[in-house]
Amino acid sequence: MTDRPDALAYLSATQLAARVRARELSPVDLVEHYLARIERFDRRLGAFVTVTADAAREAARRAEAEVVRGELRGPLHGVPFAVKDQFDTQGIRTTVGSRILDANVPAEDATVVARLKSAGAILLGKLNLSEFAFGGTVCFPFGQPRNPWHPDHQPGGSSGGSAVATAAALAAFTLGEDTGGSVRGPAAWCGCVGLRPTWGLVSRHGTFSVSWSMDTAGPLTRAVEDSALVLGVIAGYDPKDPLTSRRPLPDYRAAFGGDARGLRIGLILELVDGEGTHAEVRQAVRDAARTLEALGASVEDVSLPTSLVAGAVFMALCDSEGAARHQEWLRHRSADYDQGTRRRLLTASLLPAALYHQAQRARALIRQEILEAFQRYDLLVGPTRPTPAPAIGKEAEPVASAAGAARRFFGARADTTPFSLAGTPAISIPCGFSSAGLPIGLQLAGAPFTEPAIFRVAHAFERATAWHTRHPPL
Amino acid sequence: MARALGLPMTPEDLAEVTHRLNAFVDALAPLGELPSGGPEPVPAPVDPDRAA
Repeated sequence: MTDRPDALAYLSATQLAARVRARELSPVDLVEHYLARIERFDRRLGAFVTVTADAAREAARRAEAEVVRGELRGPLHGVPFAVKDQFDTQGIRTTVGSRILDANVPAEDATVVARLKSAGAILLGKLNLSEFAFGGTVCFPFGQPRNPWHPDHQPGGSSGGSAVATAAALAAFTLGEDTGGSVRGPAAWCGCVGLRPTWGLVSRHGTFSVSWSMDTAGPLTRAVEDSALVLGVIAGYDPKDPLTSRRPLPDYRAAFGGDARGLRIGLILELVDGEGTHAEVRQAVRDAARTLEALGASVEDVSLPTSLVAGAVFMALCDSEGAARHQEWLRHRSADYDQGTRRRLLTASLLPAALYHQAQRARALIRQEILEAFQRYDLLVGPTRPTPAPAIGKEAEPVASAAGAARRFFGARADTTPFSLAGTPAISIPCGFSSAGLPIGLQLAGAPFTEPAIFRVAHAFERATAWHTRHPPL
Repeated sequence: MARALGLPMTPEDLAEVTHRLNAFVDALAPLGELPSGGPEPVPAPVDPDRAA
């Protein structure tokens, strides 16, 4: 069975919202359209843990009646979405991808879910993820998520289901959570747009924590304009999360339509030319840099030496924070964990405190180096992932040495973790395909709260290229 | 150490956890040579507005 062109499903959320507002498109028909696609394709893709069809239909009928009365809830009125099963949803099971929480039914929505609903969006269901939002799951309790571009390949983690559902148009947009690259990585491997906002810009209330000092919710979309639209809905101070910013929010779509003239962009040498960077990824990113130059930006190579240790530093800190939370379950429900998650958390439980503090010092230096670079450059760019999506099954291969562990666990995270450690925003956008037909992502990062500049350049790049117009051969 | 902490571990877990721990030691131990006059190792930018 192959997917015939489905112009409606692949419209951007912005376009769908406009059609609903103009009464050209019924929310009921739109929800049915996506539910039919989920029914048709998700058995093979494994994007959803739970489909909330009945609730979505009811919400769609309500949204349609409101449209008829001229009562629009907000900028996403009638637009169907889905969220990573890491976000609490009132009355709907929230597993965080683990058997340990397979009966967990929250009493209230996470703030981000509540805000999307308040803006009129309609929840289609909960999306598959790596267990407890850690990467490296070997056996997914709720089914193996598959890359829509090649079903034998991984979609990336931990927001794998969110990227699959977005790329395969099983929803208008989705929400993921990015601690060390969990939105950006899957977006790169599945060929969609994934945003990690500035740490503290988006509430974490009701989000199962991986690492409190780096967790950030972010949208996965098929267009940059949708990323800006969704961020404008979910961002902003939340009294339920005291670590959210109190800054007034800009209009994230205000800069659209411009080019990159006058901007200084640094191409991160350690990531582009890193020994683990696949030749086709390196070429695609170099080509993307030339496109940015053609759009008027000044692009030059920049060296960020501390990025070479970012993967190890990130895992030492993130996993230690995570392990602290998981101690009781590790003691009493050890066998209920996937082996990849269990071994990751056991390792962090045994990490010497002296090494943990070395990692904290290194984090401060990484952050300082990145913030200093943003004194010279408006944006930093590089690959989002050093390779295209690997085959499913790679994670099950035994770890036979310390060097092998470093390559697999630290190297794969080198590109995204510097910005997680620094708390700065970054986006992944499609910038090419490998010879095997797998997507490649370009990462653009900015100083804290510079999402408008990131969106401006990402949108200009998107308009100048056609990578985002390709759809996976379902 | 795992036994002392009450953390159950299979022989297969033990082998992989050992390699993972050694990878951390190899990667993080050289960080002891980082410049000591650098920034203080605060765990995170606790106030996002002040960190910008």
